[in-house]
Amino acid sequence: MKTVFINCSPKKRFCASAYFLMLQRLFVGGKKVTEKLRTPADHARILGQLKDTQAIVFGLPLYVDGIPSHVLRFMEEMEVFCKENDLHPSVYCIANNGFIEGKQNEPLMQSFEHFCTRAGLTWGGGVGIGGGVMLNVTRILFIVDIGLLLLNTVLSVVNTGNIFPKSAWVSFGENAALLLYFNLGVLFYLARMGGAIRKNTCSGKKYTRILIPSFIFIVFADIFFIIISFFEGGLFRGWLAKKKIEE
Amino acid sequence: MKVLIHDLDRAYDDRLAPKCDRMIAADGKYAPCQGCFGCWTKHPAECFMKDTLQQVCRLIGQADELVIITRNLYGEYSPAIKNVLDRSIGTSTPFSTYRGKQMHHTLRYGKHALWKVIVYGEITEAEKDTFRYRAERNAVNDGFERAEVVFVSDISGSEALI
Repeated sequence: MKTVFINCSPKKRFCASAYFLMLQRLFVGGKKVTEKLRTPADHARILGQLKDTQAIVFGLPLYVDGIPSHVLRFMEEMEVFCKENDLHPSVYCIANNGFIEGKQNEPLMQSFEHFCTRAGLTWGGGVGIGGGVMLNVTRILFIVDIGLLLLNTVLSVVNTGNIFPKSAWVSFGENAALLLYFNLGVLFYLARMGGAIRKNTCSGKKYTRILIPSFIFIVFADIFFIIISFFEGGLFRGWLAKKKIEE
Repeated sequence: MKVLIHDLDRAYDDRLAPKCDRMIAADGKYAPCQGCFGCWTKHPAECFMKDTLQQVCRLIGQADELVIITRNLYGEYSPAIKNVLDRSIGTSTPFSTYRGKQMHHTLRYGKHALWKVIVYGEITEAEKDTFRYRAERNAVNDGFERAEVVFVSDISGSEALI
């Protein structure tokens, strides 16, 4: 069995879609191919991968309550390609949005269902994820935690000869457990959809989110943008102003 | 101010222009959004890509009424129209708030009146339902008081609907 994972994020790196597809791959067996869809130049290469695949998993961000325009262009071409080549793979979708409610991905999911109907493909279901950006940050924090653990271990060996600094490991374990907790909803539903992909069945549409209370999430989101805007300079360029058109 | 976005042939421009204050012809000759958030964090209400959509959020943000004429594609806007909307998130600010019992961004230009969509092309009943739902979501997200969706089989008389 072959599964093609299509990362539809327009970002070159560190995108949430890549993170969720990476997690989804853990729950799928057989031959796995990951492709990146950013520009029309990627279309022919990806379509070539679809000829012998049984399942396709789209990973994409929610843009303005829907599918990003560059993905819509690909889907139109894919519809024609699948009809011409009599292809009927199952289509699955992992959509993520920056807001905390995964349910906000519902219009996007509906459009994927309509796409499958028109293209003669089998709709396999999807997972809509709220707080996608912040969940992506948790993976970066996990990598930082591993780095800190290694650094503390090296310092411990140099200073005391102890290769197992207990306090560093306890701290790492606590942080890792917390990050894992934030991701539990996502892991559960991706594992569930992975089972459906393996059995070539429909998993339905499921919505989940980062496991943080909304009022805390909003505060963190605002702080995140204040910090980014400070370093990128937008904070000092009429950050919240009603900008007029420069004719 | 009434702003019109359409994906029709440019031959329609002369007929549609008198029906609105500003018009955006979605001809697809521009780049898709790169998801960098620069229009929030680096150069507010302006895209880093120097094409015809660089300041489109400033135009849409000042619309009292936004009218969109689009071809149906899976209950979604056409890629050319969606491209314009994707590039217009600078109408809001990066700050978060609650509207319609869900999280959204605060509005840079305040409240608007009407988000109207005129959909043409072959469409199923299920896709119509999705379009109505989508327009309502768009209206809440972008701070429009109400949404309206019209489905037409013949686009030739579309200016009468604007």
